Amino acid sequence: MTCPLQTEQTDLLLDYSAGRLPFRGMDALAEHMKTCRDCASFLREQKAVWDALDLWDPGPVSLDFNRRLWQRIDAAAAVPWYTSLADWFRFDNWKPMIPLTAAILVIAAGFVLDHPGARNPASGISVREADQVEQTLDDIQLLNQLDAVIPASAPDDKRGASKPM
Amino acid sequence: MLQGVNTIVGAAPAPDLDAQLMLRVRDGDEHSFGILLEKHRNPVIHFVYRMVQDRAVAEELSQEVFLRVYRSRGTYEPTARFTTWLFRIATHLALNWLRDGRKERGHQRLDAPMKTEKDGDIPGREVPDRKPSAEQRMVYETRLQEIREAIALLPEKQRAAVLMHKYEEMDYSQISNVLECSESAVKSLLFRAYEALRARLAHMDTGGAR
Repeated sequence: MTCPLQTEQTDLLLDYSAGRLPFRGMDALAEHMKTCRDCASFLREQKAVWDALDLWDPGPVSLDFNRRLWQRIDAAAAVPWYTSLADWFRFDNWKPMIPLTAAILVIAAGFVLDHPGARNPASGISVREADQVEQTLDDIQLLNQLDAVIPASAPDDKRGASKPM
Repeated sequence: MLQGVNTIVGAAPAPDLDAQLMLRVRDGDEHSFGILLEKHRNPVIHFVYRMVQDRAVAEELSQEVFLRVYRSRGTYEPTARFTTWLFRIATHLALNWLRDGRKERGHQRLDAPMKTEKDGDIPGREVPDRKPSAEQRMVYETRLQEIREAIALLPEKQRAAVLMHKYEEMDYSQISNVLECSESAVKSLLFRAYEALRARLAHMDTGGAR
């Protein structure tokens, strides 16, 4: 049999110590133990731990455990729906979300600062800039109107200019 | 040979009667919840007690475990063994309590008296012998203190793994489902935990406690 310690199959030794191996496995390991000092030592120490842990008796449970539990169940059932809803919105319930929300906000802020061009250009125009744009558009319209009038009067102007000569 | 050993260990799973009871609870049968409570109350309380090492806290957390089970009855689906689900809740609550650092608020001594329903105080600890001498009791208390400290010194997940392996007799697969990790991770946790316990407790050769 291959040594469980050498093949890192210590779970077999733990199961053997706990008596949870099937008969054939127990038999094979018992045989191996006769010739392997390391495994024998491992098992001796493990058995000491196992026996020590057996000493730890957790003691009796409160006799009114069930009664208290049923009281809590009944109390929970009697709570109106709006109280349960209010409980759900309690700060304690959302506390675990705070670090996540903060992280998301930091990432979002970083993204916005890193990509200023991604902002909506219209959102950055002030009232003054809007007035200037409107004024410019009015000027362009006025010039267009002047262009429409000037071609008709231009030959007269040329004629008038040549008269004194 | 080792392959043979491993093959035999993996047996066919037995039908989960607890899951069937829980399905009845889902259908409104409170009596079935009472049966489940009666069956699993002590193992859960003992597990949580050994995790947090505080009797009052252990009972409070165990109440929360069963309360959560009851509240979740409407959405219960038997996707895993009932005990796996139960101990997963218990482990989460115990680990959260330990991580919250509430354990610093004061340990109850193991020898502190416990109130009973009959308004009487019974000793928190009982020595296995019927009439132990003062010396025997002192030796027992000293050993117990060492054991408790050795367990308390284990990292939380190792502690949970050892307690489920030793006292609840869970196999690696079930422990891995409770702790939501792989079986190899559980084997590693157990190996390191028992290694630490062997270093601290191997000198305590009790010659077979039970």
